[in-house]
Amino acid sequence: MFGFYLVGLVAVAAAVGVVAVRQPVHSAILLIINILALAVLYLMLSAEFLAVAQVIVYAGAIMVLFLFVITLLTAGKEEQEAPEILSGQRWWAGGLSVAIGIVLILVLGQAGTRPEAAPAPGLGTLQDLGQALWGNGFLYLLAVGMMLLTASLGVLVLNRAVRANRTAEEVRASAPSEEEARKAVKGGGTP
Amino acid sequence: MTVTTWAVAVAVAVAVAIFAVGAIGVLTRRNPLIMFMAAEMMWNAAALAFIAYARHYHAVSGQAMAFLIIATAAAEVGIGLAIIVSVYHRRHRLNIDEVSRLRG
Repeated sequence: MFGFYLVGLVAVAAAVGVVAVRQPVHSAILLIINILALAVLYLMLSAEFLAVAQVIVYAGAIMVLFLFVITLLTAGKEEQEAPEILSGQRWWAGGLSVAIGIVLILVLGQAGTRPEAAPAPGLGTLQDLGQALWGNGFLYLLAVGMMLLTASLGVLVLNRAVRANRTAEEVRASAPSEEEARKAVKGGGTP
Repeated sequence: MTVTTWAVAVAVAVAVAIFAVGAIGVLTRRNPLIMFMAAEMMWNAAALAFIAYARHYHAVSGQAMAFLIIATAAAEVGIGLAIIVSVYHRRHRLNIDEVSRLRG
C-alpha cells in the first residue's frame, strides 16, 4: 500500500515537472522518470508484460526519438517562450484543466469500493494477453496494425515532400548555368 | 502481491492527476515538443486507468486495450515529430502558432 503512494507520488511529481520546466531536454528526462514510475505501477497491478512493453516502447524507442529531435532542433539555443497572441490563454487553459480533473474525480468517486479478490494466476502474462489480442480483440489488433502502417507511410511522405521541393529549387537554380555552360562549350567548339 | 481496493483507487487517482497535468501542459505550453510530451503523458494516464480497472474486474481485455494504446501512442509520436521537424525546416521557429496556418 505504501508502495502505491510512493510510486504514484513520484509519477505525479515527474508529470508536473515535465509541464513546468523550461528546457525541453529536462522535460524529456522527467518524462522518462514518469514512464518508469508508471511501469512499476503496472507491475504492482499484475500487468507484467505491459510493464516490460512500456519500458521497451516508451523509454527505449519513443524517448530516444524525442531526444534525437530535441538535439536536432534546439541544440545551442536559448529557450524562450514566444509572446502570446491570444490574451488570457493561460487562465482559460488552467480553469478548463482543473474542470477536467474535477469531473474525472467525480466519476472516480462513483466507481464503488468492493473488496479486491486475488487475480487469476495468469493475469497479465504474455500468454493471457496474447489470447485476448488474437481472440476477441483481433479486429482491434488489425486496426492498430493498419494504423501503424499508415503512420510509417505518412512519415515517409512528409520527409519526401520536403526533400523533393528542395531538389526542385536546386534544379531550377542551377539550370541556367548548365545551359550557359553548354552554350559556352558549343561556342568554344564552332569557330 | 496483495492489492486492496484502496490501492486500485490510488492508481486511478494517479491516472486522473497525470491526465489533468498533461492537459494543462498541452493547453499552456507553446513549445510543440513539450506539448507532445504532455500529450504522451495523457495517453499514459489512459493506459494506467485501463490497467487499474483490469486489475479490479479481473478482465484481461483492459490490458489488451492498454497494449493498443501504447501502439497508438508510438504511431502518433512518429507522425507528430515528422510534422514538427518539417514545419521547423520551413519556419525555423519552435512555436506552436507557426502551425496555425497549416494548409495541405
